[in-house]
Amino acid sequence: MIIAVSGKGGTGKTLVSSLLIKSLKDTEKDILAIDADPDSNLPEALGVEVYKTVGDVREDLKEDTAKGRIPAGMNKWDILDYKIMESIIETPNFDLLVMGRPEGSGCYCAVNNMLRRIIENLSSNYDVIVIDAEAGLEHLSRRTTQNVDVMLVVTDKSKRGILTAQRIGQLADELDIKFQDLYLVLNRVNPENEDEIVQKVKETGLDMVGIIHEDDEVTQFDIEGRPLVELPSESNTVKAVNGILSRILK
Amino acid sequence: MFEDIPVDVSPMYEGERIRAANMFVELAGPKSMGAELVQVEENVEDGKVEVIGPELDAMQEGDIHPLGILIEIQGEHLEKELEGVIERRTHELCNYIKGFMHLNQRDAIWCRVSKEALEAGFKLEHLAKTLSILFKEEFPLIESIAVTIMTEPATVEEFVSKANEEYQKRDARARELSDEDVDVFYGCVMCQSFAPTHVCVVTPDRTALCGAINWFDCRAAAKMDPEGPIFEVEKGDLIDDVKGEYTNVNTVVNEKSQGTVERVFLHSVFEYPHTSCGCFEAVAFYIPELDGIGIVDRDFNGETPLGIPFSAMAGQCSGGKQVEGFTGLSLEYMRSPKFLQADGAYERIVWLPKEIKDAVEEYIPEEIRDKIPTEEDGTTLKEIRSFLEDKGHPILERLETIKSETSEEEEEEQVTVEEEPILMEEMQMEGETMAPVAYAPQLTLPSSGGVKIVFKNAKVYAEKVIIKKK
Repeated sequence: MIIAVSGKGGTGKTLVSSLLIKSLKDTEKDILAIDADPDSNLPEALGVEVYKTVGDVREDLKEDTAKGRIPAGMNKWDILDYKIMESIIETPNFDLLVMGRPEGSGCYCAVNNMLRRIIENLSSNYDVIVIDAEAGLEHLSRRTTQNVDVMLVVTDKSKRGILTAQRIGQLADELDIKFQDLYLVLNRVNPENEDEIVQKVKETGLDMVGIIHEDDEVTQFDIEGRPLVELPSESNTVKAVNGILSRILK
Repeated sequence: MFEDIPVDVSPMYEGERIRAANMFVELAGPKSMGAELVQVEENVEDGKVEVIGPELDAMQEGDIHPLGILIEIQGEHLEKELEGVIERRTHELCNYIKGFMHLNQRDAIWCRVSKEALEAGFKLEHLAKTLSILFKEEFPLIESIAVTIMTEPATVEEFVSKANEEYQKRDARARELSDEDVDVFYGCVMCQSFAPTHVCVVTPDRTALCGAINWFDCRAAAKMDPEGPIFEVEKGDLIDDVKGEYTNVNTVVNEKSQGTVERVFLHSVFEYPHTSCGCFEAVAFYIPELDGIGIVDRDFNGETPLGIPFSAMAGQCSGGKQVEGFTGLSLEYMRSPKFLQADGAYERIVWLPKEIKDAVEEYIPEEIRDKIPTEEDGTTLKEIRSFLEDKGHPILERLETIKSETSEEEEEEQVTVEEEPILMEEMQMEGETMAPVAYAPQLTLPSSGGVKIVFKNAKVYAEKVIIKKK
C-alpha cells in the first residue's frame, strides 16, 4: 500500500507523514518512508540522520561517469542499485529513503529512468510506503511509482491551502497518477471556527478524512527541533493521525 | 532439483530486499569486504562445495562478515573470455534463493540472509550448492563446477585482491572491445519525448551522447526492461568502417526517426552525422575558416570560436536534427579509439575548453597534445590560428592541401573560403565596423534557375540592422 502525503508547503505534510509512520509501527509491517520533498524535513521529524540522499547518489554517478572512473566491465544499474540501498536509513521500525536535492544541469533522463525502476523494485519489498511528497507532484510522477493507493492532501484553514488541495486533485488527474482514494486532512484548526471551515471544505467536494487541531505541544516540539515521532501517545494530534490511519486502512 | 535446500529457489524472488530489521547477518557490503569470481580451470571436481570460515549457525544475529564466492568451472568449449559474462549471472542466480539478498557485482557485492531463512535451516553450504546447480542449468557449456564460499577474514582479503587482478585484466579487455567485435549495437529513444526524430546509437566505441550509458549499460537495460526505450540493433553489413556506417543501423534509425534520418555516420561530423537530442555533454562543430573541428561542453560558459556560446549552438543542432558539421557527443566518446576517426580524430581538433582537455588528456595522442588550444590560448579565430601556427598543428598542412586543390576548380561547387579567414573583429568596410548579426549551420537562399544555394556554417555580418514594423 502506498500512501502519498501532499499539500502546500508549511501546511503540516511532514507532521502527518511522520505520525503516520509512528502509528504504523505497531502494525509490524515493513514500512518504507520516502522523503520526496527537497524542502521537507521528514528525517528530523522521524529523529534520524541522513548521510546520503538519492540526489547525492545521482550526482556521484554522473561525476564518476564523466571522469571515466567506472570500470569498463561494470554496468551502472547494479552500481546505482547498490548505492540506493546504501542511502536507505534503516531503523528497527521503518526504513527511510530521502530523494534530496534537485537535479543539476545536464541530462538526467538515463539516470532517472534507472532510478525509477530501482525504486519501484525496492518499494515492492515493503508492505506500506509513506511518501512525503512535493506539493507539485512532479516528483511523484517521475521517480516513484505511479500507482499511489491513497493520496492525503494536507491543508490548513487558509483559503489558499484549500485551493491548493483542490488543484492537487486535478493535477494528479492530468499527470495520470492513479489512486484509489484521495482524502483531505485539515490541520491547525481552532475548535471555535471548525464548523465554518468544515463547511468550506465540503463545498470543494473533497473527502475529509480527519481534523488536526491547533496543538501547542506540536509548536513547542517544532521550536525545540524535537522529533515529532517523540510526541506522547496521549497527544491529541497523535490520536488524530491514528484515527486517520485506521480510516485509511479501513 | 532443490530438495536438499531448505528454502525456496525460484526466479520469483529476484529483487528481494532484506531490511535490517528482518536480517540475520550481513555479508560483504559497505561495512565489510567481499568479492565474487568465476574462473575457468582445469581439473574441477564437479559438484564440490566448500565453506571456508564460519557457517551461518556460527554467526550472531546482526553480525557483519566478509564474503568471498569463488566459482570454478570447466568445459571443453569454455573460454577465459566467457568468465565475465558467466560471473554477471551470479547476482541474478543468488537472488533466486528466498531469504538471500545479493546486490551488485565483483568486489562491490552486498549480501544479507534473512532471519526466516536461518530459522528454516539455510546455510552457506546451500548457497554454494544452489549456485552450482543453477549455473550448470543456465550454461550447458559448463561440464564441471565447484563453488567455494569464504567468510574467514584473511582468506577473503587474499581472495579480493586476487579477484581484483582478474577484474583489471577483464576491464582492459572490455576497453578494447570495439564495434567490430560485436554483432549487436543498441538504440535508445529515451529522449524522443522532446526530440522525436532522435535515435541514439550506442556501440562499444561510442557511448550515448548524454554520457550516461555505454554499450554494457544498454545490454543490461535491454534485458532488464525489454519494453523500455533501449533496444537491440543488429548492425547488419558494414558499408564504411572508417565513417562507421552499417546497413541495418541505417534501417533502424530511419524507422525509429519516422523516416527523417536515412543514414548515420557514427564517427564523423560530416555528411550524415549522428543526430543530437539536446542532452549531449559536448558538441563537436566544424570551423570552416580553419577546416578544423572545435569541441565545447555544457559547463563552458564563454563564447566559442564560432562567436556563440554552447547554449546557442546546442539550440541549433539539437532536437533530433541532422545538421552537417555538428554532432553531439559524450566526454567518454573522446576517450574512444574511434573518436571522429573519419574526420582525422584529434589531428582535426583545433579548439576545446581547458576542462575537457584535462579530462581526456591521456587519450589525446602525445604528439598533438600541446598543439590544441583551449580558451586560455584564445577563442577568436585569429588567436587560434596564430596558436596553431606557433605550435605547428597538423591542420596547417591540411589547409595548404585544400588551397592547392580548390584552385583547380571542382565541379562539386563546394565553395571553400580561399582567402585569409574573415574574422569578425576585422570586418571593416569604409571605416564602418561590421557586426555579426546571424549565424546558421545551414542557410538556404531563395533562388531559381535549377540551382539551390546552401550556405553551410553561414555567418551574416551587417553594418546596420533595421527592424521595422510592417
